[in-house]
Amino acid sequence: MRAQADRRVSLAQGAAVLAFFLLWEAASRSGLADARLLPPPSIVLPKVVELLADETFRRHLVITIQEMLLAGLIAAPLGIGIGLALAESPYLGRAFKPFFHFVAAVPKSVFLPVFILLFGIGFGQKVAFGVFQALFVLVIATSAAVAAVPEELLRLARANGATRRQIWVEIHWNAMLPLILEGLRLGMIFNIAGVIFAEMYVSRAGLGQRFSTWGESFRMPELFAGVLIAAGLSIIVNETLRALERRAGAWRTS
Amino acid sequence: MSLDLAEPRQATAPMTPEQPAIEIQGITHRYKTGRGEVLALKDINLSIAPGRFVGLVGPSGCGKSSLLMMMAGLVRPSEGKIDVRGAPITGPAPDRLGVVFQEASLLPWRTALENVAFPLKLRGVPRAEREARAEQLLHLVGLKGFENRHPHELSGGMKQRVAIARGFCQDPPVLLMDEPFAALDEQTRMTLGDELLRIWDQHRKTVVFVTHGLTEAVYLCDEVVVLSGRPGEVLARIEIDLPRPRTWEMMASEHFGRLREQIWSLIRRQS
Repeated sequence: MRAQADRRVSLAQGAAVLAFFLLWEAASRSGLADARLLPPPSIVLPKVVELLADETFRRHLVITIQEMLLAGLIAAPLGIGIGLALAESPYLGRAFKPFFHFVAAVPKSVFLPVFILLFGIGFGQKVAFGVFQALFVLVIATSAAVAAVPEELLRLARANGATRRQIWVEIHWNAMLPLILEGLRLGMIFNIAGVIFAEMYVSRAGLGQRFSTWGESFRMPELFAGVLIAAGLSIIVNETLRALERRAGAWRTS
Repeated sequence: MSLDLAEPRQATAPMTPEQPAIEIQGITHRYKTGRGEVLALKDINLSIAPGRFVGLVGPSGCGKSSLLMMMAGLVRPSEGKIDVRGAPITGPAPDRLGVVFQEASLLPWRTALENVAFPLKLRGVPRAEREARAEQLLHLVGLKGFENRHPHELSGGMKQRVAIARGFCQDPPVLLMDEPFAALDEQTRMTLGDELLRIWDQHRKTVVFVTHGLTEAVYLCDEVVVLSGRPGEVLARIEIDLPRPRTWEMMASEHFGRLREQIWSLIRRQS
């Protein structure tokens, strides 16, 4: 029963994807959309394979992945650390949490020129901007995770003589992990957006740099193929973290 | 620590028969709110003999739960002291006191078995040993076969059974219960009350049972301590001289009704 329902869902999803590409193909071929601006998938999809086989393109792709991963590796401990500090110290929290909410609300792209002045236009600037993009959502998610630790469980642990360390390991860690992973996932989405945007703005290498070059020179098949690759990359990162989140938070739902 | 549940145990340490299990001396408690200081408890003196099942009742906000939390070492009283088995309570003392809260307070990410074993885990008891003990306790509370369920897969009554099993886990001589059945429906509450008496009868721990339910208090307890409204003071200690084991038929008896009425009239005058 269940397996059958699952199969029907997969079938529907497959059909939707197929329909999307067919409509795209039809629009492009029928002249509904200008084929020069919107090349059909029959041209774009082979281009994806071609690009992935191309060593120059792969070098650009790897640079973007490196920037994104390094930014993630810096942003994660930094954001989680700041979030914990803000949540655990009433003084720090009251004093500084509002700033994080304020800055989180500001579109980060307006700071891009400042980042260029500070860090140049190379690898470091992309990483810095990725960190900047990811940091705020992580800080906010982490401090919310601390607040979400159930008071009754802390009391239970204390009544049973738990040490401070045990309370952190047994209660805080488990209660917070799914929420922090959620923050990390959102942070990574912001991070990837930031890195690619910074590359598109000014840079010598990376996916974003390719996008703006292709866009300016009307190389639409390459541009759309690149977009599909970038989308694939973000989806892989997102789904990986979502799987971790589901495993860590299996107790929350179902 | 003995793992043998079948064998009732009275005490872990040598003690004289006269020594009370719990000795509350001159407990007064104040706390600050936005509108000034509140006197919550005023000069509480109580002595509870080992093996007694003692109820703590009183109008809402009389501080009966606070008093229990003080016994558990979770709240420090403004004045006075509490001795449990001859030694003062200065903080949590899980070897002497088991606590069962109103909310089952189960760790949602742990199985029923792991939840019961949790206090032993905190004390560093090896996994095999603590889980063997937890398994026995789960059987004792009627949850055989539910060892590997997570709390979200259990009903409210089952969760509270797990919490009770956890309270027994360290085999403490004293069990503190803070309205453990308050969140349950009437039927489950009655069933669990009977189960609790059955387990208690095997182990004869000292139990302090905070409750709003007067029927429940009379049905379960040897003695009911009635606290007054704020500030909480001991109004009366009512001996429940119904024979044990208690049966449901007793609830219909005239004597049961009189005891219940006696407690109710004391509380009613307070509110």
